[in-house]
Order: sequence, then C-alpha cells, then structure tokens
Amino acid sequence: MVASPPGHDAEPTLAALRRLGREMELVPVQDAARCLAEARNGGVDLVVADRALGAETDRILEGLRSEGPPVVVVAGEASDEVALDAFRRGAADCVAASDDFPRVLAIVALEQIRRWRAVRERGAVERRLRTLERLNDVIVEAIPAALAVLDAEGHVVGVNPEFSRAFDVPPEAAQGQPLERLLPQDLLESAGLIGLLAKAALQRSVEARVARGVGPDGELRAFDARARRLGEDGRLLLVLADVTERERLAKRIADLQRYTENIIQNLNSALLVVDLEGRITFANAMAERILGATRLRGHSVGEWFPSTPRESALLLRTLEEGVRFRGAEATITRADGQLLPIGVSCAPLVDADGSKLGAVAVFQDLSEIKELQRHVLQAEKMASIGQLAAGVAHEINNPMGFIHANLFQMAEYLQDLRRLWDRAEALRRAAGEGDPERVRAAAAALAELASEVDADYVLADFAKAVRESQEGSERIRHIVQDLRHFSRHDPSERTLSDVNECLDSTANIVWTMMKHSVVLEKHYGQLPRLRCYPMQLKQVFMNLLVNAYQAIEEKRGPQGGHGRVRVATQRRGDTVVVTVSDDGIGIPPENLSRIFDPFFTTKEVGMGTGLGLSTCFSIVERHGGAIRVESQPGAGSTFEVVLPLAGGEEPRPEPGP
Amino acid sequence: MSAPSTPQPRVVLVVDDEARILSALRRTLRREGYEILTAETPAEALRILEERAVDLILSDQKMPGMSGLELLARAAERRPAAARLLITGWTEEVPQRELEALGVRALLPKPWDDGELKRTLRQALGAWRQG
Repeated sequence: MVASPPGHDAEPTLAALRRLGREMELVPVQDAARCLAEARNGGVDLVVADRALGAETDRILEGLRSEGPPVVVVAGEASDEVALDAFRRGAADCVAASDDFPRVLAIVALEQIRRWRAVRERGAVERRLRTLERLNDVIVEAIPAALAVLDAEGHVVGVNPEFSRAFDVPPEAAQGQPLERLLPQDLLESAGLIGLLAKAALQRSVEARVARGVGPDGELRAFDARARRLGEDGRLLLVLADVTERERLAKRIADLQRYTENIIQNLNSALLVVDLEGRITFANAMAERILGATRLRGHSVGEWFPSTPRESALLLRTLEEGVRFRGAEATITRADGQLLPIGVSCAPLVDADGSKLGAVAVFQDLSEIKELQRHVLQAEKMASIGQLAAGVAHEINNPMGFIHANLFQMAEYLQDLRRLWDRAEALRRAAGEGDPERVRAAAAALAELASEVDADYVLADFAKAVRESQEGSERIRHIVQDLRHFSRHDPSERTLSDVNECLDSTANIVWTMMKHSVVLEKHYGQLPRLRCYPMQLKQVFMNLLVNAYQAIEEKRGPQGGHGRVRVATQRRGDTVVVTVSDDGIGIPPENLSRIFDPFFTTKEVGMGTGLGLSTCFSIVERHGGAIRVESQPGAGSTFEVVLPLAGGEEPRPEPGP
Repeated sequence: MSAPSTPQPRVVLVVDDEARILSALRRTLRREGYEILTAETPAEALRILEERAVDLILSDQKMPGMSGLELLARAAERRPAAARLLITGWTEEVPQRELEALGVRALLPKPWDDGELKRTLRQALGAWRQG
C-alpha cells in the first residue's frame, strides 16, 4: 500500500515497487484513516508512506506500531533527523530519494515483506497449537473413558474427570499416588493391570485387556483397559473405557439369539429358510423330522417340494413372484419316496432395505389331521345316513307290513280254494261216472263249501290282495331305486357332475322320510356341469334337507299341519348357487355365528353329532365355495351354498402385508 | 272255525295312515269275528270314538300330526275301558314309561306275524272281559 498526499507525484515510488513483480498488488491511498483501515483488515504485506503526508505519516506509524504490517517511510531528501524520527515512531525502514531510490526501495520492500510474512506464519502456527491444546483439553475432559498419565515410577501425573467420576477420586487427590491406591484391587488383578503397564513401558504398541471390578457404586463393571508409552521419558497413558453396557447388550443379543434359536428348534412346526436359488440355508429339527433327512443345509428344496404343476409349486412361486401363502395344502415327497400331506405358509424373506434374500416356509405334517378329518367325515356320514335309514325303513316297513300280512292271508285263501278245487274234482269224477245221485251230492258239497269259505269274497279279495301287494312291492322297488341313485357313485377323484341331479336324488330320498309333514318345492335352473365330489355334495344337501325337516317338525309339534321346503339351483356368474329354505322353527340370532362350529348342536343328545353343518362347511370349503345362512326365528331358515365353477382346492396366494 | 259265541261282536278300531295296512289288517282279522272299524287319521279315529263303544284300539305309532301314543292317550280319556295296542315299525323310539303309564297292552311290530297279532288281540279282549 502506497500512502502519499493528493497532488503529490507518487509515480517514482510506484515504479520502484513495480519492479517487485506482477504478483505484488499496489494500492494507493491518500490519508491515514483509509490506510489504517485497509492495513488492519489484513492482506496488506507492506505500507510505504510518503513523508510528504506529514502528520498523516505519523498517524500511520502510530496506528501500525504494535501490530500490523511494517511501514517504510520514503522521504524527499535524506537527513539523519528525518530517518531517526521515522525509526523512533516505529518505521521499519526509511528510504530517501536518490539515484538508487528505485533499487533500494525495491530491496527494502522485499526484505520487509519477507520478514512480515515469516512473523505472520509463526503466529498462525502458534494459534493452531493453541487450538490443538484446547481441543486436547476438551477431549480429555469429555471422552467417556477414564484416562490416567503415569510417570516412570508408576505414580499418577494426572487423571481426567471421567477417571475421577468412575473411581471416585478427586483429580488433586490422585496426583502423585501409585495406581494401586486409586483403583479397586479386584479390577487391578482381574486383567493384571500392573503387568499390562509394565509391558506397555517396554514397547511402542498398545496393550489391551478387559478388566472387571466392583465400582464405587457396588456394581460389577467391565473395562476395556489399554496402556501405551507416551514418549521416551517413560510416561504411560492408561485408558479405561467402561464397556459394561456394551457387554450387557452383547450378552442380551446372544441371549435373544439363543432364545429364538431355542423356540425355532423346539417349534412344533417345521421351519425352512431358503436362498434365492432355492437352497436350504436353515432348517429346524421339525423340518428334518418331516422331510425325513438331516443336514439339510445346502440341499435344494426341490428334492422335497414339488416344482410342478405350477399350482403346487408354492415355495417356488414365493421365490419367483414374491407371493405369500398361508395354510395352503401341499404334498411333499420324502427321501424314502413317501408322500406326505402338509399345511404350509410361505413368505418372501427380505432384508431391512427390502431386497429379496429368499423365502421362509413354515409347515406341519397333516397326515394325522387328514386321517381325523376322514374319520369325522365318515362318522358324520354314518350319522346322517342313520337318520335317513330310519326314515327309509319306515317307508319300507309299511308296504312290507301289508305285503307280509297279505301273503299269510293269500296262503289261507289258497287253502280254501284248494278245498273248493278238491270238491270240484270230485264233482268232475262223479259226472264222468254218470251217476246223477252222486253228481247231485258232489255239487251240493261244492256249493256248501263255497258258501262256507265265502268263495266269491275270497276270489275278489285274493285279487285285491295281489294288487295291493304288487303295488306295495313297487313302492319298495322305487325306494330302493332312489337309494341306489343317491349312493350311486362315490369317486375319490373330482368328477364333472350335474349338481341338479345330486340335489334331486338327495331330495327324493330325504323326501321319503318327510313326505307326511312337508311340501317339497323344486326349482332347478340350467347349470353347467361342476367339477366336484358328488357324494360329498349330496352329503351337504342331505344335511341341509334333514335340518330343514327337523326345523319344521320342531315348529309343527303335535298340532300337525304341513311345512314347506324349497330347493333351488341357479347359475350366478361363475358360480352355481344351491339354496335350501324351510319355514321351520328358525335359528336364534345368538346361535347364527356358531352353527358351523364343530360339535355345536341344539338337538337332544343322540339326535345330532354337532358335526353336520361343520362338515358341510368344510366340504363346501374344499370345493372353494361358501355356505351362508339367513334365518328368522319362528319364520324359517335359508341356507345358500355357492360353488365356484373354477373349483378351489388349488391354493391361491394371499395379498402381501 | 272260531266264530264268536256271543251275539254281540267285539268292536275293534284300527288306525293307520296307510290304507293298504288297514286293508291287510282287516283281511287278517276277517275270521276273528270282530266288527272292524278303520280310520286313516287320528282325527277320524277320535271322531269314531265319540260315536262308538269300542272294545279295542289298534293304532300305528308313526302318523302325521299325532303319534299313535298320543292318540291312545286321548282315547283313554274317551273310552277308558277300551284295550289299547300299538303297532310300531321300530324306526322311532317309543318310551316304555309312557307305554306303561297309558296302560298300553302290547307293542306289536310292523311287519307283524299274523298268528301273534290274532293271539294278542284275543288275549287283550279276554283280559278286558275279566277286568
């Protein structure tokens, strides 16, 4: 910065300074105030002040005397007084006008700038050092670890506040004490702290151990203890970081791991985890038991789980499409070739970021349940058939009763007729012999017997008895035909069947037991054939019809009268809907939600198993359909069975979470 | 021949909702010398009981509207002296206690044995005569 009065020719000075090079920026100013302001702002390496500024020069010198860039005074003429005065006022140098002025000023300026920069740099280093010291103090104070510096003899030189806090020793009391006096004995011994320090004193590396001891609060604490030699003077730094909490957390995590591992291993369900390639990465004990193999890790699940057809490849679909299944039924093939029904839930396995890792499958062996289901189904079928048989037996009993009685009677009639025939034979013989007396006698005997046995009546009634018996046997034949129709086929596979036919044959057979008290209405719609288990559907219809009949009987009581049962079928979209309505006693609202529960019954002991509707429910469910009920107490009930034409059975994935 | 010796024949009321059964029973009892009345419904039977002095009622158990047992109970109110017999196909439970309480003489199966039926009726009427 070049300070010279206005109007004064500063050019010689500026020209001299330009010789220092282009990197030197020259800033001309014309008064002390401006000069001082700029100089104190920093960034100014040198002030060249023209003596011609007079008092302003003095003010510049005064202003920058204690701090700030050096000031070089240039004077028009050289005199010792002027120079002396300038130096006294704090000038760094004084250059007088001469032939050599440009060269001298340049050299002086350069030298002053170099010096000033050195001073400034030293200041910066000192400041940085001071900052570091402060930082060090803050760290030592704030670090959550107990620090102690020991001298070569093992006496404490200093401790940080955390040390004081952790071991309940005031910093001033720690000073000069041997470490053994400050730390609990058990802590010192647990990690051999003295030995650790001795070892650290001999080498440059850090020594680390875990030390344990009871802290001042009486709690057992764990410390990560590290010791390091600080320098050549034998001083040591001991760092004791409290890791009690960390250890507690680590133990807790380990405990949790053991806990979950325990649960998973002792789970009554099999659990498999597979990676994206379908290889098993984890299997619990139950999975090994069900799959019939050990050391499953690394095996492909395809060895047990089906991959075709697609509908059965649940685990594969979970892996590929990310769909979930819950409680789906599948069949696995064990290592020994045995097929096992299982209930399985599959879900994709994702990490915290949501990227796919594989899949988890939880499954149970269903063979026992399946067996039980078969028993229940069978028991329920027997119970319904028992009821039906009673109704059918009654219907057969009546014709049987009169046919039986008629046969006895016809045998008696036959005897009468045989006696009449004997007398007719005698008459024929007498007529052949030509003795009119004997003919007359034989004719009289015949007439007498005919009158005695009431031959006209016998002949007429014989014919009537035959007719009635024929009619009775026809009725029995019809009932048996209905029965045969009803139980015609019981395929274990699904077959395309006519639901109307199933309903009609069932209604006909149940009708035999309820025809005295019930008017049966049939409304059959046009239906496509349905892939189903026809015998199972008949069982559903039979249960609903028998229930309808019983509801009507219960309402009718001894007064008699007729009830009405209406069966109807219709196609509704992709479903076949079967309704069975009655105008019987109805179901109280509080029972409506429970009627499909197993063993729920309001019938007297021995009248129902309590499994009828629950069996209906599971049969309909097996067909992928639904069963609903509407009822008004005292007015009747309507059961609706909805069966999808697409059929069910194949598990459908459920929407993701 | 087992024609009745008394000039007044015994009156037997047979009740069944099945006309063919009535016809067969009438046939079976033809030579027993009874006057046989038939009813196809319990209501009709009760009407007949109002009008006629019946010596024996033979009723089917399972009938629409009213069971045979109920009919016999009502019959006992109208004709306490009449012997009461029940025919059952064994397809329904008949409580023994009620049978005894009603003084039902016998329970006959359906289908019945002709000889047994005739014997049972004779015995019931004989007992009635003594009692």
